[in-house]
Amino acid sequence: MKRKQFLALAAGTASLPLVAACGGSSGGAASTAAAVDGEIEPRAISWLLSRPANGPVIEIMTALAEDYAAEHDGFSLKLITTPDRPSYIQKYETLAAANELPELFDTDATPFAAKLNSAGRMIDVEDLLTQLGVLEDFRPAALDYQRFDDGSLRMIPLEFGVELFWYNKGLFEEAGVEVPTTLDELTSACEALAATGATPIAVGGQDAWPLERYVAYQPFRIAGPDYVTKLKSADAAFADEPGAASAAWLAKLGEVGAFQQGFSSVGYADAQALFTSGKAAIYNMGTWELPNLATSALPEAMREQIGFFTLPVTDGSVTGADEFVAPSGIGVAVNAQTYDPLVRDFLAFVLERYPAEYAKSGLLGPTGIDPVVPEDALPIYQEAIGVAAELGEATLMPWDTQLDPATNSRLQQELVLLVQGDVTPEQFLSTMDEALTTNAPKYFED
Amino acid sequence: MLPHRSRLSVLVFLAPPLLLFGGGVLLPIVQSLVLSFFEWDGITGLDFVGLENYRALLLHDDVFRTAFGNQLVYLVICLLLQVGGGLLVATLLMTITRGREVLKVLYLMPAVISTPAIALLFQRIYSFEPEGLVNTLLGAVGLDALARPWLSDVSTVLTAVSVPEGWRFLGLYTVILYAALLSVPRELEEAASLDGANAWQVFARIRFPHIMPVFVTTLIMATTYALRGFDIPFLLTNGGPGQASELVTTYMYKTAFTSGHYGSASAISVIIVLECLVAVGLILLVLRRKAD
Repeated sequence: MKRKQFLALAAGTASLPLVAACGGSSGGAASTAAAVDGEIEPRAISWLLSRPANGPVIEIMTALAEDYAAEHDGFSLKLITTPDRPSYIQKYETLAAANELPELFDTDATPFAAKLNSAGRMIDVEDLLTQLGVLEDFRPAALDYQRFDDGSLRMIPLEFGVELFWYNKGLFEEAGVEVPTTLDELTSACEALAATGATPIAVGGQDAWPLERYVAYQPFRIAGPDYVTKLKSADAAFADEPGAASAAWLAKLGEVGAFQQGFSSVGYADAQALFTSGKAAIYNMGTWELPNLATSALPEAMREQIGFFTLPVTDGSVTGADEFVAPSGIGVAVNAQTYDPLVRDFLAFVLERYPAEYAKSGLLGPTGIDPVVPEDALPIYQEAIGVAAELGEATLMPWDTQLDPATNSRLQQELVLLVQGDVTPEQFLSTMDEALTTNAPKYFED
Repeated sequence: MLPHRSRLSVLVFLAPPLLLFGGGVLLPIVQSLVLSFFEWDGITGLDFVGLENYRALLLHDDVFRTAFGNQLVYLVICLLLQVGGGLLVATLLMTITRGREVLKVLYLMPAVISTPAIALLFQRIYSFEPEGLVNTLLGAVGLDALARPWLSDVSTVLTAVSVPEGWRFLGLYTVILYAALLSVPRELEEAASLDGANAWQVFARIRFPHIMPVFVTTLIMATTYALRGFDIPFLLTNGGPGQASELVTTYMYKTAFTSGHYGSASAISVIIVLECLVAVGLILLVLRRKAD
């Protein structure tokens, strides 16, 4: 993780003078419609992406690009990958500011991406998918996850998953706790688990987003998905009831020692190892990790112990037990400034073949094609896949894709302090409201 | 005064490096200065805001204030370790005759290791789970109670990220100061010893004044490096937890490349330049006063 961070850092610092040098040359109002005329002229194109190296997405896309290159002499797809998300975002935003984004780039439907979109720098993906005749193949939930607030679709989803709470049945039994059905029960379960000496919840604090999920849970149950939509434009406050409840709940989780000590500097892989080695009782993670959690890749001692539950509800919850985080991952945007018949033709080629190939990887895909469950899968693998078929209507949008970048990074910092008990919930709320009112207007004025 | 022709040739030879310096260093500083009067998100157009970025930073930005304080602590720890420690080690090296060269190389070693490697190394050293070197050592001498996640504890993290930077360049300053100490005339030291001066007096009255010019140079180098220190804290904690190890430099980076407030980030970078100039000015001023 560190090396990758450094690479991004090096890229970022190298472009410092560049950023200073390229003031104001933001993109022209290129047409964002997906229709384009002309000859296909094969050339090298690039894709700036943030996905695990050697993961199925990269493997399949590389293979498809090679197939395409075999038919189109001179074509190649260069992958510029930064799996570490905070580093990726810095790289992507820097390139966007320098007007140097490549043909394809990964982004969530963040306020920053919305700005790029309103500057006319992204192709209308809904239009593109419709023209290619594949729009109907996609899961509506996978597309909705990529949409901006106004409903426009500018990113192609390549993945789909549901986020579950994996747990260790043995440790639960030892502590004498049942699977929690409400968020408050989760707190008391953590308290009981901590008393036995186990780590209740393993969380990779270094990546920031895993902890940030937790801040969204109470508000999603109490007020539904609307709260964060209003919050991000400062039409609601952190100090409002859903936010206040969330802060109090997180402080309580920290107080009972729910997360491992020193969680803020623990990386993604270390957190997962804490759970799979049987030291931590709960691990909140998406189905994209199924190959590591529910196959023979899991240490033998854990195979009998692992189970999962979905996001607990609250008393008077406005969202149902079948509604929680179901992301289609970071999406692929198509740069309007470099869009030409070749890019369009390549995307048509890829989108026709990708879903079937992806299903072979055994993961839930962005289309309705059922994944091929691997031979060494545990029974729980199929169960987890099955959850996706029974999803409710509302989706919890992760807050890191919703808030403006400055408020978001402040939130990520303050959350650590809140959970560690270094600030009180009241201090947390007032700091966050101040950050929000300072920063949100810069993104949501119009 | 040089004859006309050779003055011209001096100019001809000095011009290329001057142009490079101007284009590579001065121009970006000027551009940052210009950009610091604007608000710019990198996508839409520039908005002229005058001194607003500076006003907001200095008066309303609590993170900037914290980062500024942190940077001063970081500076003090780095100076103590690098210049203080360097002087101590160099003096000790003078007292031994065997194995000097080996020790010098060993001390210099960290300065040639790449930063990410050092960051990884210290992440493991400070680690709590799995237990790292520091906590293991504490446990071994019965100080388990002091064991903690050094990089997650707000009261220890700033020191924890400063130490690797100090440790890293200790050897470099040791070697520079050692070379200076070698140039102190032996006769003077011997004469002083004969007159009954003890080791401390020899150091304070003869050696130290003699190496003063070199010491000032190392002090200025170490100060400006520490004020610009960025990589190790950024890689180890990214400024966290909260803002406990946020430096002005890491905050500038985040303001530009995460928050997308390029104007404000430029204002911070201008402040860093001023900070370095003021620090160097202060060092020179204090020393000139002393010399008078």
